[in-house]
Amino acid sequence: MARLLDMIVSAVLLAGLYATMAYGLGLIYGVLRVVNLAHGGVIMAGAYLGWCLHEGFGLDPYLSIPLVMAATFLLGVVMYQGLVRRLPRGAAGGPASLLLLFGVWLVLRNIAYLLFTGNDQVIRTAFASRAVPLLGTHVALNRLVVLGIALVIAVLLHVLLRRTMIGRAIRAVAQNADSCTLVGIDVNRVYTLTFGIGAALAGVAGVLLATIFSFNPGSGSSELLKSFVVVVLGGLGSVYGVGLAALIVATVEVFAILVLPSYLTTAVGFMLLVLVLVLRPGGLFGHRVLS
Amino acid sequence: MTVNPPSLVSRRRGGGFAAVCAVLAVLPWVADLSAYAHNQLTLLYITIAGVLAWNWMGGFVGQVSFGHAAMFGIGGFVAGQMMVHVHLPAPLCWLAGAGVAGVFALGAHPMLRLRGPYFSIATIGLGEASRLVFTYWEKFTGGASGLSLPIDADVRFRLYWWALAIAALVAAASYVIRHSSLGLKLLAIKADVEAAADVGISATFYQDLVFVLSGAVVGLTGGLNASFFNFIEPNDMFGFERSITMVLVAVIGGLGTSLGPVLGAVVFVLVHNYLLSSYPQLHLGLYGVLLILIILFEPLGLTGLAQRGVRAVERARARKRAAP
Repeated sequence: MARLLDMIVSAVLLAGLYATMAYGLGLIYGVLRVVNLAHGGVIMAGAYLGWCLHEGFGLDPYLSIPLVMAATFLLGVVMYQGLVRRLPRGAAGGPASLLLLFGVWLVLRNIAYLLFTGNDQVIRTAFASRAVPLLGTHVALNRLVVLGIALVIAVLLHVLLRRTMIGRAIRAVAQNADSCTLVGIDVNRVYTLTFGIGAALAGVAGVLLATIFSFNPGSGSSELLKSFVVVVLGGLGSVYGVGLAALIVATVEVFAILVLPSYLTTAVGFMLLVLVLVLRPGGLFGHRVLS
Repeated sequence: MTVNPPSLVSRRRGGGFAAVCAVLAVLPWVADLSAYAHNQLTLLYITIAGVLAWNWMGGFVGQVSFGHAAMFGIGGFVAGQMMVHVHLPAPLCWLAGAGVAGVFALGAHPMLRLRGPYFSIATIGLGEASRLVFTYWEKFTGGASGLSLPIDADVRFRLYWWALAIAALVAAASYVIRHSSLGLKLLAIKADVEAAADVGISATFYQDLVFVLSGAVVGLTGGLNASFFNFIEPNDMFGFERSITMVLVAVIGGLGTSLGPVLGAVVFVLVHNYLLSSYPQLHLGLYGVLLILIILFEPLGLTGLAQRGVRAVERARARKRAAP
C-alpha cells in the first residue's frame, strides 16, 4: 500500500515535467499545424543552457529559467523567421516541414557535441539530494520544485492564452488564419510569437529535465516521443487536457516498471503512442484547439 | 481489335539501363579495380538498394519513415544468425532476413493508419524501441558486443555482383512502380487519402503492401551489409543514423522521384568518403544543413537541379532558334 502511494506520488511529480515538455509542441502544432521535430533538440539545448549557467556562473538552475526561456524564445523566432516561414505555401504541414525541422535538430545536436562532447551531464544543486516528507513517503526536493514550476508555467500559459490580447490573437489564428488577416491581425507575427513561445516552453522543460535526469547531446528523441504522446492524448492544445494526459503517461510509465525491465521505458512511450493514435486519434477529449 | 497498352519502359531507356548494369558488372575484371574501389562500389550498391526501397514509402506514398533501421537490423541479424547456426548459403540467409523484416513491417500495420507527422514520429518510436529491445536481447544480437559472422572470402568477393544485381532489380522495380498504375495509386494516396478512397483505392492495403515490400528490401540490404562487414552490432544496425541516412540520401537525390535516390547515393558516398572522413565531428550538422538547404531551395534534390538544367538548355536553344 505504501509502495502504491509511493508510485502515485512519483507519477504526479513526473507528470509536471511531461506536461511542460508537451506544451511547446502542442502550442506550435495547434496554431501552425507544424510538428516541431526539432522540439527534442530545443529541450536538449535548454538543458545545456541551464547547465552552462550553473557551471559557469553558479546560477541556480531554477533561477536561470527566465534567461533560458529568453534564449530559446529567440531560437524559436529565428527558426520560424529564418526557415519555416520560407517553406513554399501549402508545404508547411507536409513532409517538407518535418524534414526541415529534423535538419535543425541534427544541427543542434552537432553543435552540442562540438561544445560539450558526448558525455552525460546532470545539473547538481545543493539541495538536490534533500528529501522532504510528503503523504507518508519521502520525495526528493528537486522533483517537488519541478512540479511546482510546472504548475506555475501551466497557469501562466493559461492566463497568457485566455486573458491577454496576444493570447486571443494566437487562439484566433489557430481557429482561422484567413479571417484573422481580415480583422487586422498580423498572422505572420502571431506565428513567429507562437514558435518563440513554443521553443521557450521546450527550453524550460529542458532545464527542469536536467535537474532530475542526466542528458547528452543525443537526448531528445524520447522527450519528443513522450511530448507527442501527451499532446495527442490531451487533444492537441488544451492546457488542462495536456496536464491530465501528462499524468496518464507518467502513471503508465511508472507502473510499467513493475512488469517490464527498466530499459524498455522508451518502448512504453512508443507503445502508448501507437495505442492512443489507433484507439483515440482525436485525443481523450476530442478535437479541441486551444480551449 | 485489341489495343496494345504503351510499353512501360521505352526501348532506349531500357537499353541504357541494361548497358550501365553490364558495364558495372564487368568493371572489376576490365578495370582492374583496387580492393578499396571494389568495396566502395559494393557498399554503394547496398546503399542504393536500401534507399530506393525507403523511397517507395517516403517518396511514393509520402510517408516519411525515420525508423527503417528496425527492418535493416532485423534483416541483418536474422541473416547473421542463420549463417552462424544453420550454415545455409549466404543468399538464402539474406532472403530469410528479408522475409522476417517484411513480416515485422507487416506487424507495424496499426502504425500505418497514421499519416504525415503522426506516422513519422511513430517511426522514430519504432526505431528507438527496436534498437533498445534488440540491444538487450543478447541471445539474438550478442548485445553490445555484437555478432561475428563466419568469414567466407568467396561470398565476400562475390558480394559485388550480388549487391549490383539487387540494386539493379530494385531500381528497375522503382521505375516500374512509379510508371505503372500502382505508382499512380500511391501518388493518389499521397495527394489525398480520402479522395483516393472515393475512387476505390484503399490506402490501408497499398500502404501495407508498400511498407512490407520496402521493409523486406531494406532487410535484405541489412543481410548484405552483415556479410560485407562480417561483424554486426545492434547499436549500429538499429542506430538512428541508419534511418537518417536513408532519409537524407533520398532527399538529396529527389524525394519521390523514381531513380533520384541512385544519384543521391552516389553523391552521398562520395561526400561521405572525401569530406566527412576529414571532419568526422561535423557529419550530423552537415546532414542537417544539407536537409535544410535542399528542402528550402530545391525540394526535388539533385533530380530537381538536373531538370532545371535541362529546361535551361531547352530555353536557350529555343531562344537561339527564335533569333534571326
